[in-house]
Amino acid sequence: MPGRDFSLPEHLPNLRPDRQPAPPQELPRQRNGVTPQMHGRYPDYNVLDERSHWDRQTRRMVLERVEQLPPVRFFTAQEAATLEVFCDLVLGQDGEPKIPVLEMVDAKLFEGKLDGFRYEDLPDDRETWRRVAAGLDAAARQHGAERLPACSPETQRQLIQAFSEGRLHGEVWDQLPASRAWKVVTRAILSEFYSHPWAWNEIGFGGPAYPRGYARLGAGQRESWEGAPAFERDPVKDVPERGLE
Amino acid sequence: MSRLQLRTLLRGALRPPDNDSAFLLDVHRRAVPRERMARYDEDYPVDLAIVGAGAGGATLAQRLARRGWKVVVLEVGPFWDPDRDWVSDEAGSHALYWTEERIVGGRDPVELGKNNSGRGVGGSMVHYAGYCPRFHPSDFEVRTRDGVGEDWPISYPELKRHYELLELELPVAGERWPWGDPHRYPHTAHPIAGGAELAVQGARELGIEMRVGPVGITNGSFGNRPHCIYRGFCLQGCKVNAKASPLVTHIPDAIAHGAEIRADCMVTAVELDDASGRVTGVRYVSDGREHLQRADAVAVAGYSIETPRLLLNSTSRRFPNGLANGNDQVGRCVMVQGAPQVAGRFAREVRMYKAPPPEISSEQFYETDPTRGFARGFSIQTVGPLPIGWAEHVLADGHWGQALREYMRDYNHWYTLGALSELLPVAENRVTLASEVTDRNGIPVARMDYTQCENDRKNIAMAKRTMQEIMEAAGAQETLVIDRYAHLVGGCRMGVDPERSVVDSDHRAWGIPNLFIADGSVMPTQGSANPALTIMAASSRLADRLGSKLSDEAVGSAKPERSGAWPLHRSSRARPRHGRRQPA
Repeated sequence: MPGRDFSLPEHLPNLRPDRQPAPPQELPRQRNGVTPQMHGRYPDYNVLDERSHWDRQTRRMVLERVEQLPPVRFFTAQEAATLEVFCDLVLGQDGEPKIPVLEMVDAKLFEGKLDGFRYEDLPDDRETWRRVAAGLDAAARQHGAERLPACSPETQRQLIQAFSEGRLHGEVWDQLPASRAWKVVTRAILSEFYSHPWAWNEIGFGGPAYPRGYARLGAGQRESWEGAPAFERDPVKDVPERGLE
Repeated sequence: MSRLQLRTLLRGALRPPDNDSAFLLDVHRRAVPRERMARYDEDYPVDLAIVGAGAGGATLAQRLARRGWKVVVLEVGPFWDPDRDWVSDEAGSHALYWTEERIVGGRDPVELGKNNSGRGVGGSMVHYAGYCPRFHPSDFEVRTRDGVGEDWPISYPELKRHYELLELELPVAGERWPWGDPHRYPHTAHPIAGGAELAVQGARELGIEMRVGPVGITNGSFGNRPHCIYRGFCLQGCKVNAKASPLVTHIPDAIAHGAEIRADCMVTAVELDDASGRVTGVRYVSDGREHLQRADAVAVAGYSIETPRLLLNSTSRRFPNGLANGNDQVGRCVMVQGAPQVAGRFAREVRMYKAPPPEISSEQFYETDPTRGFARGFSIQTVGPLPIGWAEHVLADGHWGQALREYMRDYNHWYTLGALSELLPVAENRVTLASEVTDRNGIPVARMDYTQCENDRKNIAMAKRTMQEIMEAAGAQETLVIDRYAHLVGGCRMGVDPERSVVDSDHRAWGIPNLFIADGSVMPTQGSANPALTIMAASSRLADRLGSKLSDEAVGSAKPERSGAWPLHRSSRARPRHGRRQPA
C-alpha cells in the first residue's frame, strides 16, 4: 500500500462519510513485538523492550498480563461464549493475536474488584454482566438466531450498535436500562484492553515511566526509545529535503 | 533590595516555617518513616480523634500535633509505601480508590470510584492531578454577589494566610497568578509539553489568557523530596514523592510531633453520651475486631460521601436520625464540578502521556458575567488522559469496534483540555443511606443523588464551546467533546443558621460542642477551583481556632491539669512529643 500521511486527519472516522475507518489490515504489520491483530502505526516499537527500565512492582504487574492467561471462573461456558463475541466486537478484535479481554474481565469479577459505585437502577456489576450476556442472547433470538455467536456478523454489529445507543428492548432489557449497562460493561472492557502492553504497542504509548521519566516534552519530540511512527516521512519529500539524491 | 526582589531570588529556597515534613522523609526510600510513631491506648482519651487522613484530616492532625494535642487519626485505607504499593500503571492503581459499593441516582448520576474518591493515608490527594488554585474572594459571598448558592460564614481574608502557608508547604509551582486575589507562587513554573504550548497559543489568539500552574509539584528538589521526572502518572500516585499529598507534606511532621496515624481502621460510628450531648470517641473495625477509641473531641474528615454516611449511621437517643442531623441537613447540598473535556487533534505528535497532566490553566471565566445568561463560571485546565482514560473519551463520542481502535491508534496526535464548571448547591442533591445495602461490616452504604439545575447546564455548555474554540484556534483538525464530573464537595456545609447548615464557622457541629467536621464536605459552594488547597487551608484555620479556644478553656475550667500543655510552638525543627505508649 502507498505511504499514508498521518499528519492529515482524513483517516479519522468522524471525518469519513460512513463514520468508519479504512480497513486496519492496510496498516503496517508489526515487526517487533505483538499488537492485537498485528497491525499498528508503530511497527518497530515494542514497549516490552523497555521492561528493564521499569520499577520492579510495575514490571511484575505488567508482565503478568502478558504471561498469565487467567482461566474463566466467573462466567458460565454459555455466558463466556456470548461475551467473548461481544468483547471482540466492541474492541474490533477480528483475528489473532487477541488480547484475552474476556478472561481478564472474568478475573476481575471473580475477585470482586468493583469500581466503587453502581447506578440505582442496575444490579451489582457482576449481576449486570450476567444479565447483559442473557440480554444479548435474547436480542439474538429476536433476530432468529439461538444466541449471539450464532448470528451473522452483520446482525451482531447491528445488535452492538443498538446496545451502544440504548435501543435494546424486551425480555431482559425491560429490567436492565441498556444505556447504563453499556457504560458498565464497556468501562471494564476498555480498562482491560488498554492495560495490556500489546495495545500500547499499537498506539505508541510510552508505558510505565518510573524511574526513567521524560525529558523531551515538546510537540514532535520523543525520547530515543519511544516508538517512531511509520510513514513519519514521506520518501518523495524526504529524499530532496535531506539531500540524499 | 526590595522585599519583592528578594522573594523572587529566594524562590524555591524558602522553607515553610512550621512544617518539616519534607526534611523528615528518607533520602533513599519514599515511605514515610514511622518507626518512632506514638501509639495511644484505646482507653486513653486522646485530645482529638480524627476520622480520615486526607487533605482535611492530615492537615488538622499536623497543626494540632504541633500545638501539643494528642491526636489519633483513623484511616480506613492502608499506610501507603509508594515504592512497594504504587505502580506506573493505570489499571493497576485500583487500590487507590474507594471501591466499596455506593449507589448513585438522580437524573444526572455522578460516577464515583477512580473519578473522585480516595482511601489510604493521603486521601484522594494521593491521586489528584496536582492543581492547587486558591478560591477567589467572590466564592465566599456568592449569595450576596450573584443571588445564587450560599454565602460562607468565613471570608477570603480569613483563609489567605493559610493559603500562603500551604503554598510554601506543598510547595506550589506556577506563574504569577492574575485572577482572584493576585499572588505569586513559591516555586517557579514547570516546563510544559508540546500540547500545552499549542493550547496557550490558541487561547491567546482568542484573547484568553492561560498561565502555567498552579501545581503542587516541587520544581527542583525540596527537602528530601526529589524533583519531578515528568512521567505523567500523577493520577496513579506519585512514586517519586515530587507531587504533594498529605502523605508527604503533613503526615511526617504530624508523626514527629506525636500524632498516631492508625491505618486500616474503618470507623463505623461516632459515640455520643446522650446525657451530656458530647461525643466520647469513635467505634471502628480493624483486623476483623471492633474497637473503641476514646477521645475528648472528634473531627470527622471522611469527605463528602463518607462523612455524611458516618454521621447518618451514628444514631443515638438524642439524634435518632443521625448525629448532627437534628435539622435534616446532613448530606444535603453535596456538589460536584462539571468537568467536560475537549480533545483536539493536531498534525504533529504531542504525546499527552508525557509531563504531568496539570500544566496550564485559565480562570478568565471564573466570575459571573451577566452577558452569559447564567451565574458564576468555570475554569479551564489541561488533562492528559492515559490510554484507558482516552479510550473512555473516544467511546463517549459513540465509537466502538474498528472506529474506536482507529481513534486509539491516533492517541499521540491528541491533546485534551478540561473545564471545571461551578455547579450550584441544591438541597435535593444529597447523600443518604442505602439502607438495604450494607458493606462487609454490615453498615449501610451511601447513596448519592444528583440532578443538575438549569444554571449548571448553561455553564457546562459554555465551557465546552470555549474549549472547542481554543482547540480550533490552536490548529486542531478535529475535536471530540465529552461530559464528565469532577471533585466532590459539600454535604455537611458550614453556615450561620443551624436550620440550613451542619457546622458553624468553626467547623463545630451545631449542638454538639466537641464534634468537628474538617474536610471538603463543609464547603457551602465550590467555585471553579480544585478543592484540595482550600480544604487544607480550612483545616489549618480550624487548628488556629481550636488552639486558642481550648487554651482559653483550659485556663478556665475544663482541664486545669493541662494548662500550659498546648503552647503555640514556632520551632523550625521537629520535636518528637510522644503520648502515653502502649505496653509493647
